[in-house]
Amino acid sequence: MTITTKHPDIKKILADRGLDGSGREIWQKRLAETTRAEVEWALSRPPGYYVLDRLLILISPAAENFIEQMAQLAHQLTLQRFGRTVRLYAPLYLSNFCVNDCVYCGFNKSHKFPRIRLTIEQSLAEADIIAKEGFKDLLLVSSEDKDFIGVDYLAELASILRQKFSSLAVEIYQMATEEYTKLFAAGIEGVTLYQETYDRDTYCKYHPAGPKADYDYRLSAPEAIAQAGMREIGIGALLGLSDWRLETLALAEHAHYLMKHYWQSRVSFSFPRLRPAKDVDRSQFSLLSDKNLVQMILALRLCFADAGMTISTREPAHLRDHLVKLGITRMSAGSKTNPGGYSGSTGSVEQFEIDDKRTPAQIAAMLKSQGLEPVWKDWDSAFAKS
Amino acid sequence: MDKLVIADRHFTSRLLIGTGKFSSSEVMVEAIEASGAEIVTVALRRVDITNQNDDMLAAIDRSKYLLLPNTSGARTADEAIRLSRLARAATGINWVKLEVTPDPYYLLPDPVETLKAAEILVKEGFVVLPYINADPILSKKLQDVGTATVMPLASPIGSNQGLKTRDALEIIIEQANVPVIVDAGLGLPSHAAEAMEIGADAVLVNTAIATAADPAKMSEAFKFAVIAGRTAYLSGAAAESKKASASSPLTGFLRDE
Amino acid sequence: MGLLKINGKEKAFPENKMPATIADLLRHLGVDAATVVAELDGQIIGRANFSITPLHDGQSIELVRFVPGG
Repeated sequence: MTITTKHPDIKKILADRGLDGSGREIWQKRLAETTRAEVEWALSRPPGYYVLDRLLILISPAAENFIEQMAQLAHQLTLQRFGRTVRLYAPLYLSNFCVNDCVYCGFNKSHKFPRIRLTIEQSLAEADIIAKEGFKDLLLVSSEDKDFIGVDYLAELASILRQKFSSLAVEIYQMATEEYTKLFAAGIEGVTLYQETYDRDTYCKYHPAGPKADYDYRLSAPEAIAQAGMREIGIGALLGLSDWRLETLALAEHAHYLMKHYWQSRVSFSFPRLRPAKDVDRSQFSLLSDKNLVQMILALRLCFADAGMTISTREPAHLRDHLVKLGITRMSAGSKTNPGGYSGSTGSVEQFEIDDKRTPAQIAAMLKSQGLEPVWKDWDSAFAKS
Repeated sequence: MDKLVIADRHFTSRLLIGTGKFSSSEVMVEAIEASGAEIVTVALRRVDITNQNDDMLAAIDRSKYLLLPNTSGARTADEAIRLSRLARAATGINWVKLEVTPDPYYLLPDPVETLKAAEILVKEGFVVLPYINADPILSKKLQDVGTATVMPLASPIGSNQGLKTRDALEIIIEQANVPVIVDAGLGLPSHAAEAMEIGADAVLVNTAIATAADPAKMSEAFKFAVIAGRTAYLSGAAAESKKASASSPLTGFLRDE
Repeated sequence: MGLLKINGKEKAFPENKMPATIADLLRHLGVDAATVVAELDGQIIGRANFSITPLHDGQSIELVRFVPGG
């Protein structure tokens, strides 16, 4: 019998704090009432100091007037912790067959379009093209096409790709710890999985069917990923589904929980902002302004000094060029979000429209012009495995 | 109320007292009472069979204070485990302050033997409070095996140097899932207050009190210092303001929105 | 004659004067049983069993008690 102090799980933490939607009005009121004096207090905290209150103040409307000061602090902090570098990665989309019905997604099973899934050979061909651009950091992406893009497929693909890429990660439908463990053994070291929204009601609304409809199951995924020993865990909310400020608070609590209990994995934030997608009506969402997005990134950076922060090609070029000075540590370049897109296969549908269409070489040049070094590889998986 | 929770017990006082180095049991008892402490550490030693009156601890009221045996003297995990089992047999209490100190000069704790002993003792049902150097990774590993607290040192036992390990303590406190009790090297009440201000859950003091000219008074001073430090921590004290050095504006582009 | 190793030191007892149990030994030494733990040949003996645990020639006993410590 071991005697240890029991810790609440993330579901209970969010529920207790009303961050799963149950305390919506209270938090919104608190945000609206934040004062200038509180913002000054929050800004005077040591870098990387996280308590929920500090983050709340930094993302409040009151803090909007301090955004330049936040930017200067976040810039310095990122410089100290990450140096003058930005990691580059490329996404490789494996399939757009899906069993889920997520309202906002271009790959939603109700949308009619010719679906494509890549064979192992086809995936390897895509990967070759990506490797030729100089990438060493690859993200395998797929919709929930379990029967085809399953653990065995991914493990087989990973075991070959690890010869070519120093870092392999996946962004796929949720799996169990045992399955993540298999992926880890095959050479995958990071998993990205977004809660999409931490607000239960909103979650129900946008995920009406399929395995992804289960909020609790989804919420437990990052922990399963950590338990499998993955080195990197990517989390995020799909910005625009629900009040972005409340999502930021819940996201931070989730990150904090993972950092405390799975101290050997690095937690990274992503900021997928809803973008135009074929057949998806955008008018139903509460879209964020660029200013909101910047405030969110800065606030999280000030509270989590060592978290990775990723921005994809969803965002326009001019914005990304500024964001690399505001706390972002990793970005994709030259992305194709349609399976087979790198080989130039025509006709397959993208998950969302890319905005920054620059080539990797152009992105690297942009970074250099800002005094930043593009980092193609940060770790060699060869070090970890024999 | 702001209680200190260790394993399944709640405490009001965040000052723990060590009973070593006092000149007499009367002085020791007075100092303990003045401190307001609820947890008092003791060691285990062979009975001196030539001296009938060798029991200094008989004077401590066991119903008022939790006697926390330490394994001081142990130089290996095996010795510490043996002492822990003896202590449990003596009192029926399964709490132990794990102390493995092979170096007799600085009495610094052995991280490897401590982790080894902790893992075994936790499995045997002990509530383990391990004394360690201020090592953040070791702290996490001990928590992973199930210790009830971590007890990182501020500076070597008896050195009275205060928070020499402050930066590491801050990391340990930030990352801890269990109470952090700063132990060893606290020479002045201001050191104890500082430890509490940076977020320690409690402190343990021995030498500074036992060797003061007036131990009971010094004990009282530590009591106030711990309360002051804790209150300051809870009030959210302002940090030194960090001025960002002037550089070109980073968010001017947003004004065009 | 009986020999007991007590806390690492050998002690000889004349015939018929050898303490029969741990409780007897403690009485003989004038040590208060209430605050002592005993380890006989490496085994911990709980206080409740002091009066029923026999002692034999050649055994080694450790008597340990709580003392002041930090």
